[in-house]
Amino acid sequence: MPMSFEYRGMLINLPDFDRERKEYFEHAAQKKLVVQKCKGCALLRWDPGPACPWCQSLEWTWQQVSGKGTIYSYEIVTHAIQPGFRDWVPYPVALVELDEQRGKPSPDEGVRLITNVVDENFNPEKEENVGIGKRVEVVFLPVAEGVFLPQFKLSKEQPTERVWQFQNV
Amino acid sequence: MGRLTDRYCIVGVGETEYSQASGRTTRAMAVEAVKRAMDDAGLNASDVDGMMSYHGGDSTTSTTVVSDLGIRLNFYMDCSGGGSSTEALIGLAIGAIEVGMCHTVAIFRSMNGYTQVRIGGTGARARAPITEAGVMTRPYGYMSAAQNFAFSFMRHMYEFGTKPSQVAMVKVVGSKHASNNPKAFMKKRMTVEDVLNSRWIVKPVHLLDCCLETDNATCVIVTSAERARSLKQRPVHILGVAGRVCKPRIEVHYQFGPITRVAGYHAKDIVFPMAGVTHEDIDVTSCYDAFTWTTLLQLEDYGWCKKGEGGDYVSSGIIALGGKRPNNTSGSHLCEAYTHGMNMVIENVRQLRGTVDDYCPNWQKGQHTYDYSEGHCRQVKDAEIAMSMGWGTPALGSALIMRR
Ligand SMILES: [Zn+2]
Repeated sequence: MPMSFEYRGMLINLPDFDRERKEYFEHAAQKKLVVQKCKGCALLRWDPGPACPWCQSLEWTWQQVSGKGTIYSYEIVTHAIQPGFRDWVPYPVALVELDEQRGKPSPDEGVRLITNVVDENFNPEKEENVGIGKRVEVVFLPVAEGVFLPQFKLSKEQPTERVWQFQNV
Repeated sequence: MGRLTDRYCIVGVGETEYSQASGRTTRAMAVEAVKRAMDDAGLNASDVDGMMSYHGGDSTTSTTVVSDLGIRLNFYMDCSGGGSSTEALIGLAIGAIEVGMCHTVAIFRSMNGYTQVRIGGTGARARAPITEAGVMTRPYGYMSAAQNFAFSFMRHMYEFGTKPSQVAMVKVVGSKHASNNPKAFMKKRMTVEDVLNSRWIVKPVHLLDCCLETDNATCVIVTSAERARSLKQRPVHILGVAGRVCKPRIEVHYQFGPITRVAGYHAKDIVFPMAGVTHEDIDVTSCYDAFTWTTLLQLEDYGWCKKGEGGDYVSSGIIALGGKRPNNTSGSHLCEAYTHGMNMVIENVRQLRGTVDDYCPNWQKGQHTYDYSEGHCRQVKDAEIAMSMGWGTPALGSALIMRR
């Protein structure tokens, strides 16, 4: 069955032929964060797609990940582009690096995914709490009947590296 | 010297008015820009036999333009693309001429980037249903160019200590240049405080860190050096070109760091050896300014300064008129108009001809005062070699080196 749902007034369509992305969301619906694992070289990758960028294998399987990671970079959206986000600004968007594959297969690589940083109520986390180096963990935002959107919230874990926040100077 | 030396030239350039209210179709604007470039070169309809254009589903076609202008084509190609296309298409035009498919190619970009399809991304595109790659990003309110690039900007501050007040100097310098450009849409000189106090778009990007959104069409014409010799203008010779050079995993380039590195890191290794020149040989540059930040990142990765030192470099005075190597002398995308790269190349062509259209009374005769105070000159004295650095995304860039 194709997935089709509305979130913040926006229609999101995942037809059956968009196999990798649809399966990603089917796992999210069970509150599981998954990434693809290559059957050729065992490396994990994001975002969902048909081939391994390191060994070009077309064979892969889904791998559940811990959902823990570190903010690699971030931004605070203040001018919403999509109408559904106008009442959500200011909101953080983060590039989160998962714990599973940091610095692999080369020192500057890792599995990084795009997410918001939300609070306990799934509202945008306050800017003063967000920064590069902060620890985060996955949460699942209910968006429609049987549909969850993977999001990240700040973790109670202490940062293991330098924390940096933007200053307008 | 390089392999292209003295073989191909840009012989004509043209543009429409830069505005936020064209009141015309992209077709009408494209026709005017191509006609102006033909007139500039001294070419008739029968002298042009190739056409190329690029678009984001927001423009007219080559076949429409040539039908209007009575041009019979031997070659044309309309391709999708935005910034970084100009230089790439100039390279492809050379290739088409080289193999004998045609002899003279007009390249245009026509867009109602303010009144029809807004470059900032708001409007119809932001309302479209979310499918395919957008499924992984748009539900997070992540969609525009500024939002796509901001991770790299933030990470640069984290890694190198770059300050917004340094980056703002790109706008300050651009506005200084635009104040001497009668065509520029935004001629007002700006200060660092103006930039830092302008409203937020997506932190760390202020409104005045962003390029303009404008309606306009632009055109450059490429032909062989042999044909160029008999035309109206002093020919501008193409020395080197790099087209749509990419970082690894371009669509998810942030998986493959350092994310502060941009595609110019790779493009420089193509364009400089091809041109057979070094940085020191270049008198004037244009460096794509979709945002202040994009100029800074490219200047670093093309090697004008060390990686991480771009903040000091853009604040040093080197890139301003009167400095060692002025950059974006028209005001470019931040202040002149948003053209997806075309106005950067057009400006450099005029710089090399010595006939920049500033406020000097006899600019058309190449007579300039070199007084760079507000409302006067913007001609770089004795400019012999110019370079353009086009940007599509952090992971996508093109470059062009030309000599007079
Ligand atoms: Zn593999």
